[in-house]
Amino acid sequence: MHFGATLRLLRVDAGVSLRALAQKIGVSSAYLSRVENGHDQAPTPDRLMAIARALDLPPTLLIDLAQRVSPFVARYLEDVPSASYLFLEIARRKLSAAQLARVHAFLEAEFPARGATAGPATPRLHELLAPERVILKLSCSYLGDAIDVAAVRLANAAPGLSAAAIAAEIRERERESPTGVGHGVAVPHALGASVQPVAALVTLARPLPVATPDDIPLQMLLVLVGGGRSPLELLARAARLATPATVADLCQASTPEAALGRVRHVESEFG
Amino acid sequence: MAFLLHSPLCLLIAQLVVIIVTARLLGLAARKIHQPLVIAEVVAGILLGPSLLGLVAPDVEAALFPAASLGILGMLSQVGLILFMFLVGLEMDLGLLRGRGHTSVLISHTSIVVPFALGAVLALYIHPTLMPEGVAFSSFTLFMGAAMSITAFPVLARILTERRLLRTKVGAVTITCAAVDDVTAWCILAFVVSIVRATALTEAIVTTVLAVAYTLGMLLLVRPFLARVAARGTGREGLTQNIVAVTFVLLFLSAWATELIGIHALFGAFLMGAIIPREGGFARVLAEKLEDIVVIVLLPTFFALSGLRTQIGLLNTPEAWIQCALIIAVACLGKFGGSYVAARWTGLGWRESTALGILMNTRGLMELIVLNIGLELGVISPTLFTMMVLMALVTTFMTTPILQVVYPPELLAADVIDPPQPDTRVTLPEGFSVLMCVAFDRSGPGMAQIAGALVGKQTASDRLYGLQLHRPAERTSTLLEDEHSPESPGALEPLLARSRDHGLNVRPMSFVSGEPARDICSVAEVKDVDLILLGWHKTLFGQALLGGTVHDVMKDARADVAVLVSRDLTAVRRVLVPFCGAPHDELAVRLARRMAFAVGAEVTILRIRFRNADAPRVDAFLAGMAADKVTVVEAVDDGNKAVDLVVKAALGQDLVVLGAAPLSPDQIMTRCPTSFLVVHHHERAQPAQRRPRPLTEPQADAVAHG
Repeated sequence: MHFGATLRLLRVDAGVSLRALAQKIGVSSAYLSRVENGHDQAPTPDRLMAIARALDLPPTLLIDLAQRVSPFVARYLEDVPSASYLFLEIARRKLSAAQLARVHAFLEAEFPARGATAGPATPRLHELLAPERVILKLSCSYLGDAIDVAAVRLANAAPGLSAAAIAAEIRERERESPTGVGHGVAVPHALGASVQPVAALVTLARPLPVATPDDIPLQMLLVLVGGGRSPLELLARAARLATPATVADLCQASTPEAALGRVRHVESEFG
Repeated sequence: MAFLLHSPLCLLIAQLVVIIVTARLLGLAARKIHQPLVIAEVVAGILLGPSLLGLVAPDVEAALFPAASLGILGMLSQVGLILFMFLVGLEMDLGLLRGRGHTSVLISHTSIVVPFALGAVLALYIHPTLMPEGVAFSSFTLFMGAAMSITAFPVLARILTERRLLRTKVGAVTITCAAVDDVTAWCILAFVVSIVRATALTEAIVTTVLAVAYTLGMLLLVRPFLARVAARGTGREGLTQNIVAVTFVLLFLSAWATELIGIHALFGAFLMGAIIPREGGFARVLAEKLEDIVVIVLLPTFFALSGLRTQIGLLNTPEAWIQCALIIAVACLGKFGGSYVAARWTGLGWRESTALGILMNTRGLMELIVLNIGLELGVISPTLFTMMVLMALVTTFMTTPILQVVYPPELLAADVIDPPQPDTRVTLPEGFSVLMCVAFDRSGPGMAQIAGALVGKQTASDRLYGLQLHRPAERTSTLLEDEHSPESPGALEPLLARSRDHGLNVRPMSFVSGEPARDICSVAEVKDVDLILLGWHKTLFGQALLGGTVHDVMKDARADVAVLVSRDLTAVRRVLVPFCGAPHDELAVRLARRMAFAVGAEVTILRIRFRNADAPRVDAFLAGMAADKVTVVEAVDDGNKAVDLVVKAALGQDLVVLGAAPLSPDQIMTRCPTSFLVVHHHERAQPAQRRPRPLTEPQADAVAHG
């Protein structure tokens, strides 16, 4: 995933200008622009936390996206140095995602987290998807066609909205600023608090040659409509799918169920 | 030199190399002076023969083309010719012969009869000197007539294509005439050959009867069989080698049969080529596979062989040269004069008539083939053979320069734009969009044809989409299929190919769908199309036309729906619309009228009057639809005969556009062999308020991929 592009995507959808965000977190807008264009590294964890606050996002999400070590973890390791030995053991064994899930399950069982997770959480991606909204091996020549096809399926799940209206909204947003997040993934969307969030997943039989932040042709779309209270968080979650392994797996999926399983898996990896 | 050519195989290979290289080199020169390749190849043959090589370096010629080796070379060239005639047949679209009107018929017949007659008269004059002994005068006369009336269809087609004449009126008339001419001339020749070979009258009659029976058998038995083979063979994997093998076996059997009957093997090959089905690209793929090897390798051996037989040295007296000039003059007079006069008679201008005459005068290699047959039969002498070869050369050679003078490129350009595409589009409502839903690759070309007829010359506001929906089961079944699918757009490919031929821009889409009807409707809605075009194919159970997916789409779509039943639909020229006054019928009339404006189709509206019809309303509607190319024919439905009326009127039409109700499409379809477009009208709630065009992609260069 291209962190800069994802950051810009979130910023544009939050309706915050580059200058305003730079001011809020105390950096120059030139620096922020370089980050968004991928000419500079992802910011430090502290700055990421500041950005998250400014955009009203859960801080851990941005830190995940930037593949940085969370300040929480850093602080914990300072307090309890022996814990770093445990992390070292895990790293040495090169535990896979599935194995980590088992460790996680063990932790849950042995040491239940204090104070259950606050409030109604934002829905997970796989909850927004459904087999009929997974379109596999779409072949077309234009991004617009792919969006239209996704809109067709989304309209069936969004009462009161016509496919044409949805497609028009998404295309309009796409025209304002492309939603590619790197590694051949784009997240075209039409956010709106009043509409229950639904998503459609489209994998492409032939990559589409459209402009993307990292110049990898488009292979997969996650199309989002609505969003409820925290639409940005959904977008950030969608961006997490943009890793080479996940994209390759999803593009090879031959049944909607298989693709959904893969999305669920990614969601669970990040807890 | 001798050690290089010590075995027959070495010799043959050396001969092939020399022949091909010479032909190609001269071909380059011919290109420079804008002559067809044939000229170069014939000249190359003559140069390699006794006329030049034999004169300059007799040793080399004797070493390279010893008399003993000519048998093998001859056989090779015969095989080449059989394959070539098959190709000529493939290129000859018998559809051209159908319904091209009075002009072509008159011109083509005149351009056969006149040269034939003149050739026969010429035979009277030259037979004392040039007729070989032991040949019946009647055979000689008939052969001269036939040889004079040949037109080189392949050369002609190539000249027309190169000079972009095919889309002009002259081009269209000429190619039709040439097709008619060639078919007729070959029939005459077959007859002549059978007469010459027969020793007694009864034998000739038997041969003729057998030949007719053979032709009927090919048309009535083999042709339908091939249509089935073609329908099966043009699946995802295209032309399999098995099907090509079957075709070749049939070709050789056909050639064998004609040779046995006593007409020439070449007729069998030609007929076989002509009856190969054109639908679905079967003929095109076959021709592509065959063309290079035949045209580049095998055909030059034939030319070389003709050249070896051409001995210009035989024309060693002034009288001989005078006779040769006379033959050339008579050939030109007959063919050119005959076509010119007939063309003027039918109302073409002098420029067009001259162009047509000079084009028809092209003899090219078809003449050479005929002459070789004649020489082998012994019906003409080597001297006459040489003269006739020169005649073929001269007539072919003069075509391009004279055409250049008569029909300069500027004039041509003006001609192309004007008549064939009457630009009455101004009266068409601008912007038409069609969603073509393809289930099988066979239905693609027909759909492209219909879309082309509806849209004509595509403008920026005409949008065409091709949609293919895969069944989910297909995808999960085998791994192999999944591996292939991303690259091959599958069933859409023929549609796209045909659309490109018509200069149409179709945007392809395909994806997996469990509910095709619903997805078709939704895509149509989101793309805001005017018409959904569906294909029709026989279902496994039941024969109902408007069932299954088609029925669901008609019921649910918020757009007009048309179902195409294509039966070899290769052109939309004559369209019939049965009209009873129902809303679906009105849509049918509107679509047909669109075709009239877009591609100049001749539309006939068959108005069927019912006793209780709302006549004033219908009158008003039809008055509003009146146009140049749209004629209304009245018919009264006395009793329940509407279906009969339609079936009768559909004769000779390319396409019947039929409302889904009240007439029963099922009933009419089973009784009519034409193609059908069954249309279903959808009442639009609010017609206006078009969405803006797609925003995220360029429109100008929206070239369809793949």
